[in-house]
Amino acid sequence: MTQPSVSKPSKNTPKQTNLFLSLIEKNRLLLNDDSYRAVVLQAVVLAAVLFGLWFLFSNASENLNRLGMTFGFDFLQVTAGFNISWSLIPYDSSMSYWRVFFVGIVNTLILSFCVIVVGTIIGTAVGILRLSANPLVSQLARWYVEIVRNVPLLIQIIFWFTVVFSTLPAPRQSYHLGEWLVLNNRGLYVISLESAFSWGWIFALIGALGAAIYGLFRWSKPYYKVSGSRSAGFYIGLVFWAVAACWAVWFISHSLSLSIPTLQGFNFSGGAFLPASFGAAFVAMTVYRSAAIAETVRAGMQSIDRGQSEAAFTIGFSRVQSLRLILIPQAIRSIIPPMTNSWLAATKDSSLAVAIGFPELVSVFMQTSMNQTGRAIEIIFMVMGFYIFISLLISYLLNKFNDSVQYKVR
Amino acid sequence: MDDLNVNNEPALKQFVPTPSRPPRKSERGIIGAIRHRCFNSIGNSLLTLCVAVVLFYLLKYILDWAVFNAVFIADNRRQCMDISPDGACWAGVISWFNGLIYGRFPLEEQWRVNSGVLLGLAWLLPLMSKRVALRNFILLSWIGLYPFVGAYLFLGGRFGAELGLVHGTMTCFALAFLTIIYTNWILSGLGKKGLNELFVPLVSRWVQRRIHLLSFLTILLLVALFIAFGLSYVALEPVAIERWGGLFLTFIIAGFAITMAIPVGVVLALGRRSKLPVIHWISMIIIELVRSVPLITVLFMAVTLLPIFLPADMEFNKLTQVLVAVCLFAGAYMAENIRGGLQAIPKGQYEAAATLGLGYLHTMVLVILPQALKMMIPNIMTSFISLLKDTTLVSIIGLFDIMLMARNIANDKDWVGLHTEPLVMISVLFFVLCYSMSQYSLNLEKRLKVDH
Repeated sequence: MTQPSVSKPSKNTPKQTNLFLSLIEKNRLLLNDDSYRAVVLQAVVLAAVLFGLWFLFSNASENLNRLGMTFGFDFLQVTAGFNISWSLIPYDSSMSYWRVFFVGIVNTLILSFCVIVVGTIIGTAVGILRLSANPLVSQLARWYVEIVRNVPLLIQIIFWFTVVFSTLPAPRQSYHLGEWLVLNNRGLYVISLESAFSWGWIFALIGALGAAIYGLFRWSKPYYKVSGSRSAGFYIGLVFWAVAACWAVWFISHSLSLSIPTLQGFNFSGGAFLPASFGAAFVAMTVYRSAAIAETVRAGMQSIDRGQSEAAFTIGFSRVQSLRLILIPQAIRSIIPPMTNSWLAATKDSSLAVAIGFPELVSVFMQTSMNQTGRAIEIIFMVMGFYIFISLLISYLLNKFNDSVQYKVR
Repeated sequence: MDDLNVNNEPALKQFVPTPSRPPRKSERGIIGAIRHRCFNSIGNSLLTLCVAVVLFYLLKYILDWAVFNAVFIADNRRQCMDISPDGACWAGVISWFNGLIYGRFPLEEQWRVNSGVLLGLAWLLPLMSKRVALRNFILLSWIGLYPFVGAYLFLGGRFGAELGLVHGTMTCFALAFLTIIYTNWILSGLGKKGLNELFVPLVSRWVQRRIHLLSFLTILLLVALFIAFGLSYVALEPVAIERWGGLFLTFIIAGFAITMAIPVGVVLALGRRSKLPVIHWISMIIIELVRSVPLITVLFMAVTLLPIFLPADMEFNKLTQVLVAVCLFAGAYMAENIRGGLQAIPKGQYEAAATLGLGYLHTMVLVILPQALKMMIPNIMTSFISLLKDTTLVSIIGLFDIMLMARNIANDKDWVGLHTEPLVMISVLFFVLCYSMSQYSLNLEKRLKVDH
């Protein structure tokens, strides 16, 4: 017991004499402490990030002041004053920048939607053909995929635009399919239905009718579950909605007229019009996307045990039957996640159509509008916000779908 | 029990498997295989015939256009049309070939581009030999120092004048490094001691610790001084960055993105896997934001927003802005690859490292990352391929990469409207590059297959 009492003063004396050194000693101990270090590290990183952000924004405000510009979204209400070569929703140059943004979004979405649908169909077919026992077919599919995958998409888009679609004949010599379809170097003209009502109203009406019928089914469901037959109220409602639908069709059909593309001067007017840039972007992106999807499908199909297809043949399934009933339902589980990525990539790739002047979001908003207004910060954040929203939405929906097709393990 | 005892059964003891039967007569040989796999049913036969006919006409058309009816020597497009109206006009591509490769780099200075590329490859050459020590060190030095030499050669300028002090010093060090690597390589090939060993006795007179490092630094400093002395007499013609272009510029952007993607990706991936919430969230937000927007918007952002967000007196040229954007973009994609690799490392590896008493940094650098990177090589290669393809996008914001050079041929007054041939040529070029890279990565994947 005497030892500590003897050693204690000798240990304490240097500490008391040199307070500064002991402080360093204490801090060094703290630095070796994990939780303390974690806090310090995070504080440093956070401070650095905040400082960086502050640095950037103070510079931005200084630069904007110097250039006499302000930050704000009020420019969106200003009249845009330029034309857009093609838009799905009505647009003219007297509309505001809001409308331009909206037109860009709709054009981007329609392009990527078409690419996703057709690309997935072609890609699935090519992916299955690659697994064909016929070497000629499987090699053809293989080289299709290899060539398409290894050439940059931008080159392909420009190739289709300048080499294929721009070399179609001029409007006067355009290809005809009766009066239904006209193809020339400006694009594709198709006969269309025109209505005095805007299409928005018609779609809204169809949607409302669908929702009403769905509501009717939901309403009568409890009774149906108990009795096995629909209630009288259900039939009365059905008749009511049918009459309403007939009236709506009769009412709208009065305002409908056929619009036929006709040559007027140097160009066609009337009919629905798809510009050549849409065609080129659509074909190039579909081809490119289909190759990626074909690889996904092939990998998914190859991940299934060989015994499954052998078993399917053994019980007498044809090739188509075994694909439809045995192989694809199993493969879809491993195909969905990479397919999600492919679809997201298709949406992002649609921004490349800017290179051939298809009026999508980047082209009309990030190029034309930015040059007109000079509001770089606002516009870039709006465009990026749109793409971020879309990718979050698609990945959320497909994750939901993915959860529903995965094996349920209890 | 006895009848189940297989070992005592003489007939089963000497089990001789039946030799596998030869294939049916109809399936033997090349003709048999073709008949069995292409014509085994009516539907299949029809399919085969259709595909064969389509292929025949496709190949015939392509070969007719690209080879048999093509014009290789002509002065302008009109002559091409006169000689053969429905064949390719490669003469235009040939006359623009130099532009496609070097952009608008001055003709008499193009040896600098060639020597810069050769120097870069030569730097990596010792890696092929297994006898060279510290091979990772050579790779790191290439990543860290080669850009300075490359920039010196491509940009030109005199030491102390156009070339900044830091840049000049680093160039000297880089060249000194290269010299030392090669001297050591040659010495080891001759069976002699390395340059380092020669200096060790000299240095050890003065210092006791870190003798090898200090002797290496001494050599480096001496050689660098010597090189600096030599270079101060050489004056390279300055070449503006705006004149860079063609395949050369494509390679610069892709090469920079590829080398920078790994470090940026490693940092972001480690940050995302970190247990510290602030670091985790910051890395995650960066990765997710960059990955969910198209590259073209990131490029636009770099070109238009960087000048606004940086101080007014800090001016970058367009290439620097693009390099920053591509680096960020590539890093975010690479981070996800590396994260996949990190997740695939079994927990036991971390525990083993902890048992050895390694801290976080040592665990990652010495144990986890080498395995994770090796495991992810195929994915990383796929990323590199898509990066190489994505560099064509810089043409949209007006950098004269090979894509824009190829499109520019159509604006030349001699070759007005010559769109197809340049596009086909660069498509073939990209195909060859990307396809060989993907085949190489398949090869690597087979070689490096790790089973846990």
